Amino acid sequence: MDVYCSNNVLQARRTVEQLRLETELQRIKISAAAEQIVQYCQEHRRADPLLTGIAASSNPFKDKKTCVLL
Amino acid sequence: MGEMEQLRKEAESLKDDITAARKAVQDLTLQDHVAGTAVVGRVQLKTRKTLRGHLAKIYAMHWGTDSKLCVSASQDGKLIVWDSYSTNKVHAIPLKSSWVMTCSYAPSGNMVACGGLDNMCSIYNLKAKDGNVKVMRELAAHTGYLSCCRFLSDSEIITSSGDCTCLLWDIETGTEKTVFAGHLGDCMSLGVAPDFNTFISGACDFTAKLWDIRDGQCRQTFGGHESDINAIGFFPNGNAVITGSDDASCKLYDLRSDQELITFQDSSIMCGVTSLAPSLSGRLLLAGYDDFNCNIWDTLKAERVGVLSGHDNRVSCIGVTPDGMACCTGSWDSFLKIWN
Repeated sequence: MDVYCSNNVLQARRTVEQLRLETELQRIKISAAAEQIVQYCQEHRRADPLLTGIAASSNPFKDKKTCVLL
Repeated sequence: MGEMEQLRKEAESLKDDITAARKAVQDLTLQDHVAGTAVVGRVQLKTRKTLRGHLAKIYAMHWGTDSKLCVSASQDGKLIVWDSYSTNKVHAIPLKSSWVMTCSYAPSGNMVACGGLDNMCSIYNLKAKDGNVKVMRELAAHTGYLSCCRFLSDSEIITSSGDCTCLLWDIETGTEKTVFAGHLGDCMSLGVAPDFNTFISGACDFTAKLWDIRDGQCRQTFGGHESDINAIGFFPNGNAVITGSDDASCKLYDLRSDQELITFQDSSIMCGVTSLAPSLSGRLLLAGYDDFNCNIWDTLKAERVGVLSGHDNRVSCIGVTPDGMACCTGSWDSFLKIWN
């Protein structure tokens, strides 16, 4: 068996081993998975500045107008 | 070749088993689950700062953990560390190789890393006693370009490469600790899980893979994209993965049900996704495209709720601050913009 052939066989064996591993995964129902994603979004919605908007006074990226004391 | 034929048949049979197992948990779709949820209102973000200074295309940017400093890499051969509040340049680091494709800020703030067509990941110490930023380590082992790098700590970093592998490095000794092999195409991007136990990689074989950092095993493989995956990131709770591809779509894959839950695409979008970042709650997905724009998606409803336009060339990178206060876009037009 020349090197090219044996490399292909090794690769194929590894592919099968990897697929066997992935087959054994315990999968949860999509309803449960979806619920967790939605819940996470809900729980953190108020703390998400890009979603709720940011008051100008608490926005570190907004230039503050300076007060000039005369 | 008797054995090859046998292995091929076994591989096909196992793939069918996986498809069946995924189907068996499809009791509902995400769309069904959120049918009663309203789409978020229109999101209009304004450019608050423009970071000017690079002289050529920007390829990558990464926020520091303080949500104020960030690092950007350009093919003008420089890494710039910016104070995004003031737009001041804290460091302008000249690189040995100008063909940089990625950069990363260490969580501690002590180091930055970059790499590209030189096939190496160079680590720079920002806190040297003499105040000069210099190369601390050059991590060389990849046989292809460095597409992405992410620090786990000051002593470990993960890199992805055009040689189809990812590597976990010991920065102290400058050597590879673990090889993550399995992709059949260039690895383009990687993301580390919030718990630092796993990471995900997206590649030119159109798949995303979830890896166990300690034992080097690929735990899960996600297909469905019809072209190269250029961008990848974790949904903030660590249980889902979002990918962006040259096929003009983004996809959200759930890790525990081991499958795609939703695709973000629109018939009017015909160009590739270059970069992506979720907002703090995960409800918004910001994605940069080849058509110079960044689209903002409602992650649960897969509808476009906003657009960031302002760059004069491809948006190559995007990042949301760890505190969620702003997002930064980097472009081939040589500018970075901060939006909120």
